[in-house]
Amino acid sequence: MSLVHITVFGLVAALISASRNSRRRGWGLLAGSVLAVYWLQPATPVRHFDFWLPTIALALTIFVWVATHRKTSFSVRAEILTALVIAVLVLAVGFTRYLTIGWHLTQTRPPNALSILVALIGLGLISFLLLWIRRKSQLGLWLLASIILGLFIITKSDPLATWVSSVARVWSGQLPELASSADMSWLGFSYIALRLLHTLRDQTTGRLPALSLREYVTFVIFFPALTAGPIDRAERFVRDLRVARRITAIQAVEGVTRIILGLFKKFVLADSLAMIALNATNALQVKSSLWLWVLLYAYAAQIYLDFSGYTDVAVGIGRLAGFKLPENFDRPYLKPNIVAFWNSWHITMAKWFRAYHFNPLTRFLLRRKPKLLPWMVIFLAQISTMVLIGLWHGITWNFLAWGIWHGMGLFIHNRWAAFLKAHSHLLPPSLRSSRAVKAASVLLTFHFVTVGWVWFALPEISLSMNVLGRLFGM
Amino acid sequence: MKEQIARYIAGEILKDSTRVVMKDEPLVSSGLIDSFSLVDLALYVEDTFGVRIEDTELTSAVFDTVEQLAELISRRRAGVVE
Repeated sequence: MSLVHITVFGLVAALISASRNSRRRGWGLLAGSVLAVYWLQPATPVRHFDFWLPTIALALTIFVWVATHRKTSFSVRAEILTALVIAVLVLAVGFTRYLTIGWHLTQTRPPNALSILVALIGLGLISFLLLWIRRKSQLGLWLLASIILGLFIITKSDPLATWVSSVARVWSGQLPELASSADMSWLGFSYIALRLLHTLRDQTTGRLPALSLREYVTFVIFFPALTAGPIDRAERFVRDLRVARRITAIQAVEGVTRIILGLFKKFVLADSLAMIALNATNALQVKSSLWLWVLLYAYAAQIYLDFSGYTDVAVGIGRLAGFKLPENFDRPYLKPNIVAFWNSWHITMAKWFRAYHFNPLTRFLLRRKPKLLPWMVIFLAQISTMVLIGLWHGITWNFLAWGIWHGMGLFIHNRWAAFLKAHSHLLPPSLRSSRAVKAASVLLTFHFVTVGWVWFALPEISLSMNVLGRLFGM
Repeated sequence: MKEQIARYIAGEILKDSTRVVMKDEPLVSSGLIDSFSLVDLALYVEDTFGVRIEDTELTSAVFDTVEQLAELISRRRAGVVE
């Protein structure tokens, strides 16, 4: 999100929540979110991708709603009206093609109106097909989950993204030899995919609340949280959506203060630190171990300020729109152990993976016969969860290594805590709660996380190993 | 029910049967019970009281104390739709 995006979103959010009419607010949030999906999508070299990628995100959202919705107080007519409003908004975005350059909502000129119309009719037919399948079986849920997962893997894997891009280039009459994974940069899809998968899974366990199409689409693509989360849960989001009242002066001050704090963290502190933060270029240029540590500390500070700054902006805009979005950070670098760190770093994503991977896998492993030893269950569940979290950032060896690093850290901490539980006389509670031990624990945890950023910040294993060696004078 | 759950937490999860777990003592948000033990507790509840606690419900937002867990079990047993 640029400063222009943030300013416009803040004004739109305040304008929408200033309305006395709750229906008008609902429509305003839906329209704002649909238009934001197109406006935020960056340009890609493949012709019209910056129009079709947001359209696919919208289509998937509607398909998941069709496959999971339950009866609400909204009539069928109201749901059809919502679908029509979305279609009209998409067509309106497409019609900006006929305006002069600079007036397109998308980064490049949208495709012609006929191809958009044909696509919309196609999407409508697929929706009816999904509705029909839903009456017969749960096949639609599995099909959609597989498609979302497949698209997610494509966007996160460089070779797959390049291959899809070369196919798309042939389709649009461009040179496939120029295809690159950057062509598939799909804004917000990492977050959209997790929200869609959460609703598909909750539908099968009967925990999904009844949501109208308007509520569901607003939840999945809510404009303040589109770029970088937080990843809300449908049942929590809809509570805010339904009780959203006119914004009070206090809320407005809270929202604006939070946005300003986020802007300062992101655009002043994080962007300044980015100049000296560890990266593939300066990692090779710096010779001394001391300076390498400086680069690494700068990276640790930069990544936190950048991401938490974005969250502050999202939470602030959400506040202006009358929402209390969940927090993503809670002073993560001041935690005494790695478990506490993961309870305070990218909280909503960690909760998602705990709910949809760690807990079901642990449940399965504890129930299976012959029984595994508890430490084996903990090892498998923690390593696999952290590996998935690593790969969610990108399917590369470095993100895999980062995941294993944290998985091992969590496992070792777990064993250490179990050892202390069984041998409490070795470290009595009075000593454990002393300020010196607490400070040492915080320092140790911070450095474990910071050294782990070497995997995250650099693109190759060999370079990361090289930097790790030099950090410790080897 | 509350005593039974508190005894299980003290003896099987905290490995200290002399420990008294208060009914309003925060279990999840305080870090007293880790994520692995939380699943273990859910399975115990499932086997002992015959109600299922979903994987998505193993958070402090759903229950954080023995009292809240007992209330959740009672609601499920009474068939209250949430």
